[in-house]
This record gives sequence, C-alpha cells and structure tokens, in this order.
Amino acid sequence: MIMKNIYKIVSIAAIGFVTLTSCEIDEVGDLNGPTLENIIDNSTPGDIQDLMGGILSDMRNRLGTYFDDVGVIGREYYRFSSSDPRFTSDLLGKNRAVLDNNTFYTTAPWGARYGTAKGTNILIQAIENTSPAYTDQEKNGLRGIGKTIQAYELLLNLNLTFQGGIRADISDPENLGPFLSYTASLDAIEALLISGATDLGNAGTAFAVNLSSGFAGFDTPADFLKFNKAISARVAAYQGDLAAMSDYLGDSFLNLSSAPDDLIDGVYYVFSADGADQRNPMFFALNASTAGVRVAHPLYTTDIDPTDNRISKVALRDESITSDGLSGDYDFRLYTSDVDPIPIIRNEELILLYAEANHISSPGDAVTAINLVRTAAGVGAYTGGTSPAELVDEILNQRRFSLYGEGHRWIDMRRFDRLGDLPIDRLAEPPSADNPDGVEEDDVWVEFPIPATENQ
Amino acid sequence: MKQQTHFSRMKILLLLIFTPVIIMAQETITGKVVIEGTGEGAPFMNIVEQGTNNGTSSDIDGNFSITVSELPANLVVSALGFSEKVVPVTTAGNITIQVSESSEALDEVVVTGLATSVKRSNAANAVASITADELVGVTPPPTLDGALYGKFAGAIVSANSGAPGGGLSVKLRGITSIAGNSQPLYIVDGVYIDNSSIAAGLNTVSGAAAGGSASNQDNPTNRIADINPDDIANIEILKGASAAAIYGSRASAGVVIITTKRGKAGKTSINITQSNGFTQAIRLLGVRDYTEQRIIDSGSFDNDDLQNFIAARDAGRLVDYEEELFGEEGFISKTNFNVSGGGEKTTFYAGISHQNEDGIVKNTGYEKTSLRLNIDHKITDNIKLSLSNNYIQSSSDRGFFNNDNTGTTIGVSLTATTPWLDLFPDANGIYPDNPSGSSNILQTRDLITNNEKNKRYIAGANLDVNIYKSDHSNLKAVLRAGVDAYTFETLAIFPKTLQFQKPDNGGVGGVSAQGTTINTNNNYSGFLVHNYFTDNNLNFRTQGGLTREIFDQNSVLTTATGLVSGQTNLNLSASRNVVQNRLKQEDFGFFVQEEVNYQDKIIGTIGLRGDKSSNNTDVNKFFYYPKASLAINIPKFGFWSLDQVNELKLRVAYGEAGNFPFFGANSTIFTNTAIAGLSGITLNGQLGNTDIEPERQKELEFGVDLGLLDNRVGLQFTYYQKTVDDLIISSAIEPSTGFVTQVVNAGNLENNGVEISLNAVPIRNENFEWTTFVTFFKNTSEITKLNIPAFNTGAFGATLGTFRIEEGKSATQIVGITPNGLAVLGDAEPDFQMSFQNSLKYKNFDLSFMWQWKQGGDNVNLTALLTDLNGTSADYDDIDLDPAGALGNGDFRQSQLGVSARPFVEDASYLRLRELGLYYNVPSKALQQWFGKVVQSAKIGFSGTNIVNIFDYNSYDPEVSNFGSNGISTGVEVTPFPSSKRYLFHLSVSL
Repeated sequence: MIMKNIYKIVSIAAIGFVTLTSCEIDEVGDLNGPTLENIIDNSTPGDIQDLMGGILSDMRNRLGTYFDDVGVIGREYYRFSSSDPRFTSDLLGKNRAVLDNNTFYTTAPWGARYGTAKGTNILIQAIENTSPAYTDQEKNGLRGIGKTIQAYELLLNLNLTFQGGIRADISDPENLGPFLSYTASLDAIEALLISGATDLGNAGTAFAVNLSSGFAGFDTPADFLKFNKAISARVAAYQGDLAAMSDYLGDSFLNLSSAPDDLIDGVYYVFSADGADQRNPMFFALNASTAGVRVAHPLYTTDIDPTDNRISKVALRDESITSDGLSGDYDFRLYTSDVDPIPIIRNEELILLYAEANHISSPGDAVTAINLVRTAAGVGAYTGGTSPAELVDEILNQRRFSLYGEGHRWIDMRRFDRLGDLPIDRLAEPPSADNPDGVEEDDVWVEFPIPATENQ
Repeated sequence: MKQQTHFSRMKILLLLIFTPVIIMAQETITGKVVIEGTGEGAPFMNIVEQGTNNGTSSDIDGNFSITVSELPANLVVSALGFSEKVVPVTTAGNITIQVSESSEALDEVVVTGLATSVKRSNAANAVASITADELVGVTPPPTLDGALYGKFAGAIVSANSGAPGGGLSVKLRGITSIAGNSQPLYIVDGVYIDNSSIAAGLNTVSGAAAGGSASNQDNPTNRIADINPDDIANIEILKGASAAAIYGSRASAGVVIITTKRGKAGKTSINITQSNGFTQAIRLLGVRDYTEQRIIDSGSFDNDDLQNFIAARDAGRLVDYEEELFGEEGFISKTNFNVSGGGEKTTFYAGISHQNEDGIVKNTGYEKTSLRLNIDHKITDNIKLSLSNNYIQSSSDRGFFNNDNTGTTIGVSLTATTPWLDLFPDANGIYPDNPSGSSNILQTRDLITNNEKNKRYIAGANLDVNIYKSDHSNLKAVLRAGVDAYTFETLAIFPKTLQFQKPDNGGVGGVSAQGTTINTNNNYSGFLVHNYFTDNNLNFRTQGGLTREIFDQNSVLTTATGLVSGQTNLNLSASRNVVQNRLKQEDFGFFVQEEVNYQDKIIGTIGLRGDKSSNNTDVNKFFYYPKASLAINIPKFGFWSLDQVNELKLRVAYGEAGNFPFFGANSTIFTNTAIAGLSGITLNGQLGNTDIEPERQKELEFGVDLGLLDNRVGLQFTYYQKTVDDLIISSAIEPSTGFVTQVVNAGNLENNGVEISLNAVPIRNENFEWTTFVTFFKNTSEITKLNIPAFNTGAFGATLGTFRIEEGKSATQIVGITPNGLAVLGDAEPDFQMSFQNSLKYKNFDLSFMWQWKQGGDNVNLTALLTDLNGTSADYDDIDLDPAGALGNGDFRQSQLGVSARPFVEDASYLRLRELGLYYNVPSKALQQWFGKVVQSAKIGFSGTNIVNIFDYNSYDPEVSNFGSNGISTGVEVTPFPSSKRYLFHLSVSL
C-alpha cells in the first residue's frame, strides 16, 4: 500500500517536474524598445517619422551644458550650482584648475551631438528599406534633412574642440574616421551641407515627414534649403571665406530688415512641459539661488549702451548674488519660461554675418546691416570708422549684445584672435603667509580637450 | 539537515531489520532521553552502540530500547541541534540520558550540494555558518543583511546610508564583477529571492543623474531587507565558485543559503520577544564657528549675510540646522511572536513579527510585518513534504538625500543653510522661502513623501522521497518548487507649496511620482541522490538534477508634474511621463556530482553544472562549470597520537561559476522621446553586443582546519585565488559612434585573499564561560588583463576622484587629477578587516559584544567640499589639511578643486562596537514561584548597535554609498542620510 502510494506520488511529481523544467528556452528578445536592426531593415513610414522626431528631440540633449560651456568661458554669464563647483572653477580656469577631458562638461554635449548625428545616419540608411518604399524625391528630402542636421551637430562639437578637430566620418562604429584638423573639419562640414543642399534641391515640393514647430516656415524642401544655406554661411564665416559667406547668405533666409519679428525669424529648438518632452534647460526663475542660477557677467550691463533695449536679456535681481568669489546683480534672462524656444540660427545673426561678409569689400553695405541691428536695439546709427578693423570691432560688439547667450561670444572672440580681451574676474594673488603658493589668475580657455573616451 | 537525520534513521532501521539474524548474544537497554534543564523527552535522538552499526532512535516522548551484544557498552546519543553524548552502560534495564541543546552542534553539517549536505568536518571549503543566536542573539538587526557585519571572514558588508529600511551591499571575497551583478544570490528554504533595488523616481526632482553620472542615486532599499531575521535558523555563505559552482551561472558573487526555523515534534513552544528603544545619529558634523571677519572673508557670503548674521547672533537666533534635522531620537519597537511544535507526522513553526522604527529625521521610518508558517509533514516514512510560507508587508519613508543638481535634496540644501536663516514655519504653518538657496530644508523634510511599500509572498515546497533502499545503497529524490512574488510601490510626492516647486521659483508646480513593480521569480528543481556504501565504509554519493528559474519583473513609473490643487493623483496634473521597464529571464541548468568518502579520512568530490539562459544571445547554448575538491582528515588515519589535536584537516577546492550578461546587453534599442507634440524614438546610448558571453569565475581555495583540546580551540586558515575571466564591462566607446557604451567581455581580474578565524573557549567552568571568535581577512584584486583602454568609471570624474579600471592595477583603485597628472589617490579595498566576537556567561548573565575593525579602504567624500563651497563646513577654519599649514581646511579644499582630487579621497577605516548585548536569564526557580509551570524561561536585557564608532573620516560615517550597492562605485559620499546607533531594551518570554 505504502509502496504503491510512493510510486503514485513520485510519478505525478516527476511528470509535473518534467513539464516545468522542459529544457528548451525561448528567446525573450528585448522587451523595452524597438531594436536598431528592426528599424534599419524593416521600417514603415511611421517609424521614419518617429526617427525624425527622435533626431529633432535629440538635438536638444545636453544643450544646456553646451551653452554653459561656451557662455561661461565666453564670459557672458556665470553658472552657479551648489552641487557642482566645476562651472566656476574648471570652466573659468580658477587658480590652477584646468579643463577635464573626462567629465560632464566635456563629454556630455559632445556625445549628445554625435548621438543625433548617428540618428541622421540611421535615418539615411533606413529610408532605403521601408515598406511601402519612398519615392526618390522623398528619399532626397529625408537625406537632405539628415545631412544638414548632421553638419550642424558636427559644427557644435567643432566649436568645443576647435584645433583639436572632430571626426567627420562616423558611419561605421567599428571603423571610425580619423580626427581632422580644424580646417579640414570645417571643410568636411561644408561638404556635407553642400551634399544635403543638392538632395534638397531634388526633393520635390514637400517632405515625407513632419518636422517640429521649431522648423515652422522651413518645412518644405525649398525652405529647409534656406536653413541649410544659413548654416553654410556661418561655416563660411568660421572659414574666413567672405565670398562664400555672401553666396550662402544670398541663398539663405537673410532678410535685411530691422523689424523685431524679422530679426527673430529662424529655426529654433522647441520645448514643452509634456512628460516625454524636455524643458528649456537655459531657464531659471528670477532671483534663483546659488543652488542653480545663471548670473549675467557684470560687464554686460556695464558695457551696454544705456539706451540699448537688449538690456532686457538680463534682469536685475532683488539681491546681488555671490559664489566662489564671483558676484552679479543681474540674472541671465533670455528666456522667461521653461518652454521658451532657443534659436538654432535666426535672421539677426544672418544680418550680422552679412555685415561681416561685406566689411572689407563693401563697407557701406556692412554699415547698413549693422544699423539695422542698432536701430532695432534703439541705439541709433553707427558713427564710427569704416576700416575693416573698426568694422570688426563694431560687428563683434553687436554680435555680443544681439546674440547674447546664444553660444557665439567665445567663438567670435576666438576666431578674431581676441580671447585676450575677455575679462579676467579673479586675479592672481602673490604668495603670502596665508597662501604660500599664491593664487593664479583665471584662465580663458581656447578649446576643450578631446574627450578621453575618444581614445586619441 | 533534516535529511541527514532522516537518512541516519533509515540506516538504523535497515540495520534493525537485518542485525537480529547475525547477532547471537543480546542484552536490551531501555530508557528515556531527556533534555537537560527542562526534563522534556527528546524525540528522534539517534542512539548507537559505539564502534558498531547497531542503533535505534527515540520515539516522540524520548523513549527508546536498544539491544546490544554484550555489556558493558557505550551508547552514543546524538541528533542535530544537540551535543553528542557518550554514555557507558554496565547493566541492562532502564536508564535516563540527559542531552543538552547546542547551537554549535548546528555547525555539524553544511549545505554543499543542491540537495545534500556534508559534515563540516568533511567539507573542503571554508563555508561560513551563522546561527540564529549569532544572527539576532546579541541585538536584533534592522534588516537581515545588516546582521551579517563581522560575523564571518570574507564579506564586506556596507550600508549605503543611514536611512531606515536598509539598503546594503554585501560583497564576498572581493570584487567579482564590474558591470554585472556583484551581490550574492540569496536562497531562502530553496527559493531564489529577488534582491533588487528599485528607484523611486526622485531623479526627476533632484536631477542627480543630469551630470551624466550613473542614474540610480535615489538611495533605494534592497529587497533582501524583507526577510525577517528572527525566523532564521541558520545561514550558510558560499563565498565563491569553489563552494558554489553547483549553482552555476548565478553563483559568481557567492550564495547565501538561508534556512528558516522549523517545528520540532513534542511540546508546543511559544516565544514572545518585545524590544523597544531608540536610534540617534552616531555623529553630527557641527556648525562652523562664524565670526564677522570670516563672513566678510568668505567668497560665499555677501553683505546681507553679514548683517543677518549680526542681527541673528545679537538676538540669540542662530539655529543649528544640522541638529534640527538629524537630532531626532527615533523610536524603535519590535515584537516577535513564534510558536512551534507538532507530532510525529506533522510539525510546524509559525513566526509573526512586527517592527516599527522611526529615523533620526522627522517623517522617516520603517515598518514591517512578517508572517511565516513552515510545515513539515511525513506522508509516509519515506515521503516528506516541507512547506515554507512567508508574507511580508513593509513600508519605509526614506527622506530626500544624496546627490542632486538642483539644490533640492535635504542633504545638499543643508550644506548651504546658515544658522542666521529663519526657516521655521509661521503660526499658520507657512514656511518661508530660503533666500539663499532653492529649498527650505525644514519645509522639504516636513512636506515631501518618499515612501516604498512592498507586499511580498515567498513560498517554497520540498518533497523528499526515498525511492528505494538496500543493504549497500539507497536512492532518494528531491523535488523542489519556489515562488517569490511581490508588488512594490514607490510614492514620491513633492507638493507644489515647496519652495522649489512653486512656478514663481521656476518649479514645475509639484511632482507626484508613483511606481509599481511586479516581480515574480519561479524556481523548480529536481534531484536524484544515490548512496552506495561498502563494508569498509567507502561511500559513494552520486547526484544529478535539473533546475529551472524564471524571473519576471515589470516596472512602471509615472511622474506627474503640475499637480492640481494639492492633489497627488496622477491624472490630476498638468503633464505626465511614464516609463516602463520589463525584465524577463529564463534559465535552465543541470548538474551531476560524485562524492567519495573513505572512512571520513579522505573525501573527494567532482561535479559539473551546465547552464543556459535567455540572457545569452544563443539562448540554448550551454555553459559548463566544473568543480572538484578534496579534504583529508589526518587524525582519522589513526597514526596520529597527539591527543590535544583532535582535528587537522587539509582541504583544497576548485570550482567555476558564471555571471550572465545583464538583460538587454546584446541588443541596441530605441526608447521614446517627444518634441513639442511630435513623438520620436532615440537610441538609448548602448551599442548591443551579440557576442557577449557570461563572465567566468574560477576559484581555487585551500586551507587547514585545526581543532585543539576537544575543539575548545579551533583555527581555520584559508587562502583563495579567484579569477574572473571575460569580465562584462559597459565599456565607454568613442562617443563619435553615437553611442555611449558597449557591453563587452573585456578583461580578467584576480582576487587573492586570506581568511583566518579562531574560535576558542578560554574559560569554561560551572559559573563562568567565555567564548571568543576572531576573524581576519584580507583581499587584494588586480585587473590582470584589459582589452580596452583603461577607463575611469563611477563617482564624478577625475577632478573629484573616480575609479579607474586599468591593467595591472587594483580593480578598486581611486584616481584623480593632481598637479602631476592623473595619479592613484587611494583604493576602496580595505587593507584588512577583523572582527572580535565575545560572549561571556556568568551564572544567569550573558554579555556579548562584537568589535569590527576595517583598516584602510578609501572613499570619495564630496560632502565636505559642498559645505566648503557654501562656507558652512564645521572644520572650515581648522588648519590641518594644508601641508603649508596656512589655509583653513575649507579654503584649502577649495583651492585644490580643479588642481588635485587628493583632498576628496579619504581613508574610510573604522573601529566599531558593532553589537553589544547584556541579558539576564530569570532563574527557572523564580519563574516557577511566580508563574507556576506556565513560563519556561524568561530573559531581559539591553543591547545596542554601533555604540562606539572610531574613525577619522570627515563626515557622518565612512560607511556610505551615493550610488547604491552594485558595481565598484560604492564608497562615494554626497550628503547622505547620516548613520545611526541603536539602543534597545528587551523582554523575552518562552511558554
């Protein structure tokens, strides 16, 4: 009886056991998102739209850090953060502090830009394998967008590393292209823009995808081409090729007008409070504390003309603010809400690029352009000299106030070899009993190191 | 352990059947085995005639009868949980044998196979065991893992913060993985227990990960904290692959095998224990000694600060906000009630416990209720079913600490809070905004919620079947199933009245982050064990089995911002973001093992485990893990004549174990994003690697066990070498690829270590007994091969000190910038650790205490720097860091920022009185007088945890981790929840 029960129980248990431990395992796959292979090899137009949305969204990744990098070194504003002292030490070259090639301010914006660039490469690959297939015109349009955005993203990274250069060939993760010199990098970016422009020129009248509202007015192949040309003009300025600047500006959305609406016409990063979206990283509330605040560099308000309405880009604080030996009375106030758009490129810059393009060959045209900006700012017409050197001074001065906080000051001063003119806030102190090594004055960095993870 | 008893009984039964045929002359001894002290009958004791195979066992009341061939004879009386006793018998007839319960006796067997155990004296590994007494006997730990400190050699246990509810890291024998799991596998009564740490989504508010560092800085608890330590009978720790190879691919970080208490047949016993006490911070840093001149000199303050300081000082309104925050004494209450007993066929253990602890910060605390029912039933003499059931409900309020990038965590805000601020609410309960920071710490403390709740059911079933038995062999089957299911909820609420949530201050109008994780682990296994023994006591034990584990975790975290009129419901908000993360893993494995035991003189084992997993790219590819071991008991050979040395065992063991790639390591995936109403997909930064393989650990350990003076002195020495090949590394790849990391098998590491433990009973007489247990261990690691360039990982970059994985260097080295370039500034690995456990018994008093000494091992401490930058450090004006003796510490540390990370890497050595307990056992005579026979025993006492803490480390506690438990990035400090000490009063009554 007992033995019989034993066998019964054992056999039932054994059957149950074998069922539960059947030894084949099924593939689980990735449960948390579509895979790269799927998107490249087997997309629908809906997927391509999502890729496009992702690229436009990614363009904003770590944008705040990028602007802080160039804005702080360019002495446009201070960035105080009670949880990260490096904004005021490393970026400003306090005492003996130097830029680190392996921390967030170097690696994060750099990686984010290449992330977006990768997205554009995926887009260009994936549109070949969709079902239903795109027409050639539609493919050209998508390629044109991808190449233009990729070129712009590469340009932002080149702004950081300058003579250190960038990798322009990034199509194969296993076999990346070399780091190019600054000049060669700019040439590669220009080539990519030209290739994108060609694609856009053969893209028919409409894109196969929707762009974000930041591209309002630039969302057809013909209009997007004007954005492509505007970026090309900026690249030409960096190349110092004034003739090319003029050509590109002619094909861009340059509008020689002083109407405020026309000055802000352009392409923007846009934000929203929606859950999956991002908010404007450059916004802080007025009178924010040292926990997190951008404080206008004191010279912004000192140097600006008393009647200049661009003073509204900063706002007087209730109380001055001090951190790490730096003080200010004005908050950086370019954005008044956390969903305000941030310009990528806009007409006011194009007008000043136009002035720059003409400052040697056609000083009169340069002054006309400068005056458009001056009039809009409420400071009256330009009365200074029209020698190239004097005009460069004036153009840089207008760019300083017109493009304040938009990521240009440091790069402008660098390309005209005037970094030495940027203010030094914390001066050297000689050795003393208190401080036997003495204190070195702040440094103005020329460029960021190439991120350590690039293994250069 | 039960099986061992059962097996012995089986053997005896067999012998009883066959011996009468052989035996000629016979004498019968009858009698009763009783338990010393209580006089209760001791059921199921093994009684064997010494030097023979003749034996029997006592019945449920302790009665027995044995027939011996001749008198006088010696009877050996033994059972698990009792000291072995040898009784000379000269005449036939009735005798009474007293046996005493022994906790040491529990050490006798150690679990080494999946279905079998081996006598400790025959084990080839230094398997650590912790008994219930050692675990909770001195002082009840807040959580289970918190009870492992110092209890055995080879484990580095470290709390991530002082927040109530746990959050600990346990690392066995050094670092075993860099990107993969480095926490041991926990198995409770055969059930694989999940030990996840699930973040509550505080990052939305703190922005801690916005700087690009590892994301989980939410300081969550880990789920092993759910297990009630009072239910545990015994813990065994398999520290590395040589002991744990049989667990295959989940064993590389070691295995912690927990056995809970089970009922004993006989009288129903009831125990009630009540503990009450309080907790307080072990250390506060203090307030800077402000003077007008110091405020003027500081770059952190302006004239307003100066005026406010003067006004507050003159009015006597300076507030010590650190004291205000961390000065609370948290109340602790713990009630434990258990009942056990049963009859010959069925036994049970029921444990009910409730724990309620307040933290040292207002509105923090931990509450846990655990119900356990363990039942064993003998279906027949040959079939036994064991069931374990545990339901746990826990809730912890963790406060808001650690790193941030928004100046909002209480910890970071405190660094910018000066004594002249007035942050207290007015009569209407309205908190003023902090004018010099983005948050008012008192408001944050009082109004936020950061709660974790868990409801968990763990159940295990074990069926033992004796399939056949004969003279020289027997066959047993063991079938096992387990389930660990829980629903874990996180609730983080930041109301919009908070300073940093007000839209005027740039806030998002309140945050409600609610997460739910549903986790289900299932494990099934089946084993066959065959024993074959020859006449000259050569035993062969063959076993084989199959195992299958299924892990399924689904987390949904919804973060709502812009809360509508004080509501916290997710839908009553302006916008919502949802993140869902799913994990699923199926593993299948088999194992075979052969043990040969020659007369307990030479014991050899070989075995092989094969595993496959859905986490591998080729899901049906097996990975094989072999093991082999040998133990030699020299005194058993008989040529040994030194009576003082009763044990001398030489042992060597080798084993391999694995660590599967983490879920998703082989795929490149997109996640969702959106831009102003346009949705999109974006790569998540990881380039998948379809060639990824499991890590393979190979461990060789050898050692000597020495027992002197009848085991009154025991010495164990173990040396191990543990290599991990094919290290899985989330390698930073060139960011220009568009990816941040790629998971690769990129190198090898090696750990070498020594473990020494000494146990002794220096004094033992009728009134006084002193037992002592000293452990020493040391581990060093080295990255022996690295196929990718050396890289920094963890912490916050080289400026502030970071870890660096580099060939030829320690795996846990800390590097940082210096004026001479990147240099090694420290190492997280301690030089050595020691613990000293002592137990003194004098008459009815028990005094136990344990000192734990960690020597060396460095932390990256950024708390001091953050206070310096705000001019608030308590030691700001002391001069002991600057080599030139000129700058105050605060100015010195700031002057090094960006120049050298050296001031931020600090020695984290400590010496602690980790546990102290003093108990008085009420004499049974007094109990009888007072309560008659109702109360069997009663005990009152006092205990404490972390009562004495000695360290130089410049913060609350060197034991801290901003980044939680996993990987190597522990020991990084950013304004944590301070650690606390505990004082408890106990009353325990057994009925």
